[in-house]
Amino acid sequence: MSVLAGREAAGGAPEPGDLLEGTEWVAAPPSARSRARPAFGAALRIAAPPLLAAALALTLWEAWVRAFEVREYLVPAPSAVLRALAADPARYLGAARVTLAHALGGLAVGAGSAFLLAVVMAHSRPLERALYPLAILVKVTPVVAVAPLFLIWFGFNAWPKVLVAALITFFPMLVNAVTGLRSVEPAAFDFLRALDASRWQLFWKLRLPSSLPYVLAALRISVPLAVIGAVVAEWFAADTGVGQIIVIANGELDTPTLFAAVLVLALIGVTLTLAIAYIEHRVLFWHESSTGV
Amino acid sequence: MTTVIGVPAVRVRGLSHRYRGDGGPLLALAGVELEVGAGEFVALVGPSGCGKSTLLRVVAGLLEVSGGAVDVLAGSATAARAGHRVGLVTQEPGLLPWRTVAGNIALPLEVTGARADVDALLARVGIAAFARYHPHELSGGMRQRVALARALAHGPRLLLMDEPFGSLDEFAREAMGRELLRIWERDRVSVLFVTHSIREAVLLADRVLVMSAAPGRIVAELPVHLPRPRPRALDETPEFAALLHRVREALGGAP
Ligand SMILES: Nc1ncnc2c1ncn2[C@@H]1O[C@H](COP(=O)(O)OP(=O)(O)OP(=O)(O)O)[C@@H](O)[C@H]1O
Ligand SMILES: [Mg+2]
Repeated sequence: MSVLAGREAAGGAPEPGDLLEGTEWVAAPPSARSRARPAFGAALRIAAPPLLAAALALTLWEAWVRAFEVREYLVPAPSAVLRALAADPARYLGAARVTLAHALGGLAVGAGSAFLLAVVMAHSRPLERALYPLAILVKVTPVVAVAPLFLIWFGFNAWPKVLVAALITFFPMLVNAVTGLRSVEPAAFDFLRALDASRWQLFWKLRLPSSLPYVLAALRISVPLAVIGAVVAEWFAADTGVGQIIVIANGELDTPTLFAAVLVLALIGVTLTLAIAYIEHRVLFWHESSTGV
Repeated sequence: MTTVIGVPAVRVRGLSHRYRGDGGPLLALAGVELEVGAGEFVALVGPSGCGKSTLLRVVAGLLEVSGGAVDVLAGSATAARAGHRVGLVTQEPGLLPWRTVAGNIALPLEVTGARADVDALLARVGIAAFARYHPHELSGGMRQRVALARALAHGPRLLLMDEPFGSLDEFAREAMGRELLRIWERDRVSVLFVTHSIREAVLLADRVLVMSAAPGRIVAELPVHLPRPRPRALDETPEFAALLHRVREALGGAP
């Protein structure tokens, strides 16, 4: 599933690097750095199949719409969607920026608070049992139910959007972070305890880095969810962002614009997912998810 | 030959330990008597599940005992732990995979605030060239070398080893044994060494303690009067064979 090239590089023999401070977990191993260049060719190899598949699908779609003269308000041709985009690029760019800010803000608030709560829960079973039902309540609350409510509570500003995105990203981060913070290797834990390491030291030196594979996996799941949450809230408010474009396009049966908005969302989603994958690749060089298969 | 003088590194009297397991309480240790002299190398053998790891964890201050007295380096086990005077090596090396070899060895220094030359420690266990490698780039034997250097980094007076070479092949195992003896002969830390291998116990130790199961207790104590440093072909001598035989007998046919 590696979106990024050069994952296999982590298995290669390291060269004498220049990273003396490489003792810290954030630093990439020398091996990953020295392979940075060939990775570009590999990236091309990996990117080529999905791009070709997309090009083929778009061509067939265009041909189908033209051949059967499908009405534009039912299914617009890709060229019509592109025309809609080109007609007012600033509008889409502005909306994308707003939606991206809402999604990232929501991710920061939701995943951030979930992680802090996970730290508490990972240290105490009774607290975990006490708080877990509340977390599930958050999880099962439908976004479409709370979005209008948040609008009433907070008004027509960024908060309802950020909070809906936060709500939707909260649970995946909580569950994964609790699991991750508990996933310490017993032998490493015993070694540190035999040195009388404090809870604080155990947390920073062992628990936190051990949780990173889980935390980053949770982020990967949460990123598209945050975008969806932001758009749903924008849709209800109908005042800013890509959600607003969708509401208006819907009302006017302007299907090409609707598709263009969806395309913009897809681009946001792909970009964010690639960013997370890149961070995973750099930070988790030591984890089995990035060594080999 | 080591003579036990001064305060022993470990003194265990009438130790019992009961686990509150899910399937009811389990008496893991009962009436264990044990002593490790200062600078002595003591091996502990016994059938699987007899409580060797439990005993070691008690001495390391990781387990609260149910009964008996445990003195470690002239204080309680907790005090020895708090004073950073104990080093621990287990079968799983438990290295931090996101840290380099040098970073892993620096870990006990960061935790205890002790100072030591990481490069010298690496050289001591023969892995100086691998300072910047990560654990996933090392062989099992090299990982155990790192674990050994890490356990020695903060200058402990007592080394607790729980089947440290248990997952290594015979060659690596023997090489590591020799390496350990070399280090021990220089530093004279006290060692309590748990192993499944009778051969390894006799090759390394000054004294072999034999445990028996259900509940775990020490049933025999065999001094090993073999020359030090241990010569290479030691295991081909009749004295060695006789000792092996006696340990086996003490184990009573147990594996
Ligand atoms: N955390 C625990 N909770 C409950 N029972 C335990 C626990 N740890 C060990 N035991 C039990 O205590 C007994 C002794 O276990 P221990 O691990 O000390 O044996 P051991 O001699 O080290 O075995 P091995 O040679 O296989 O490592 C076993 O019967 C085991 O089932
Ligand atoms: Mg054991």
